[in-house]
Amino acid sequence: MTETIVNNIADVIGWETIRTVVGLVGVLVVVVVNALVLTWAERKVSAHMQRRIGPKEVGPFGLLQPIADTVKLLAKELLTPQNVEKPLYYLAPVIVFIPVLVSFVVIPFDARLQVKDINVGVLVILAFSSLSVLSILLAGLGSNNKYSLIGSVRSIAQNIAYEIPLLLSLLSVVLMANSLSLRDIVEAQKGVWYVFSQPIAFLIFFIASVAETNRTPFDLPEAESELVAGFHTEYSGMRFALFFLAEYTNVFIVCAMTTTFFLGGYQGPILPGIIWFFAKTYLLVFVILWFRWTFPRVRFDQLLNFSWKLLIPLSFLNLIVTGGLLKL
Amino acid sequence: MNIFTEYTQVFVFAVVAIIFTLVAVAIAYILSPRTQGKKTFATYECGIEPFGSAWIRYSVHYYIYALIFIAFDVDVLYLFPVALSYTRAARSYEFYSLLIFILILGLAIAYAWGKGVFTWKRRVQ
Repeated sequence: MTETIVNNIADVIGWETIRTVVGLVGVLVVVVVNALVLTWAERKVSAHMQRRIGPKEVGPFGLLQPIADTVKLLAKELLTPQNVEKPLYYLAPVIVFIPVLVSFVVIPFDARLQVKDINVGVLVILAFSSLSVLSILLAGLGSNNKYSLIGSVRSIAQNIAYEIPLLLSLLSVVLMANSLSLRDIVEAQKGVWYVFSQPIAFLIFFIASVAETNRTPFDLPEAESELVAGFHTEYSGMRFALFFLAEYTNVFIVCAMTTTFFLGGYQGPILPGIIWFFAKTYLLVFVILWFRWTFPRVRFDQLLNFSWKLLIPLSFLNLIVTGGLLKL
Repeated sequence: MNIFTEYTQVFVFAVVAIIFTLVAVAIAYILSPRTQGKKTFATYECGIEPFGSAWIRYSVHYYIYALIFIAFDVDVLYLFPVALSYTRAARSYEFYSLLIFILILGLAIAYAWGKGVFTWKRRVQ
């Protein structure tokens, strides 16, 4: 009975439409739940690394704390400081979410669980993830605040410096997989994961991703001891929450990308693929949280020069060696 | 008629992202309180009166990095089609082309390095 109804609906609006809508709802659920889990995990993990307890009042183990925080942020005043450039200031939190959500289109959660396997998926995800710089620039310029401006300028310099090692380390993966579709890349890792055949590319890619998400030790754009909160200093309430949500989703996306490109994506024995995918992704997320309490913040010239002097030449070498091994 | 091209989903997701943020801000706008304060809407500057505008000209020391980036980003994008068709033919011709291309890119880094782009002068002695 239900099957006939579903088939009838599908005949009218088409399977592709149903797939898109279901994918959209699923992705939105993943985005929201991931942000809730990560805010909780961030506080809990950091607390235990410093021998504190962390949130524990709201719900068992403080699990409901993120929900309480969300309600609080919803009920906070949406301040618009008087000196801001209004169009830019309002636009920044609106477009911050576009690159984040679009990146989910091509991520393969399971062998058949992917919104759309675009044949140039790698390029789509890279193009949109570099667009996130745009909203940071608008926020920094529009706020008319020195901290915001300096924070956003730093963030852009950092993002473009680490964009190139990111691209170059992915190139060696594309060389081996011979495809720009993310599912093909996962399928090409059936025998050996690329983390074993491309260990240098993996390290470069992961370091560059941490830098792209502005996490410690590369968190200079929001270095609180000198820049208050960086580019979102002047944002409050829900607008601030949107930047926050985008940031945590970005952490998830870079870990999901690392999983897809280097850790064999959804592949693994016994358990279903989607469980393997999330297990690998959250393991990497944990590593990123771990970084925050292990490494001190780097100085800005060290940050830029680390990319230009070490990562880029190293990824050039890696590319040449990969190309040579494939041909000679 | 099939409205689905390769990138329809990308477009749909982008539109939904905008709607999502607008709805979230709208809900907050309805729920949030309003204050009337003299200093509430002042630009934040650690509690003191804001000293001038933020839109002044100042030297961004790492501006030159952005210039190198533009050249590099375009060049690296050329490598993606190369990577795709690299193993189609079993010749070593592609490898030497790749080698020469990357060596030229490496020369650019070496040139910038030699010119002292990557060394920051100390302002305070």
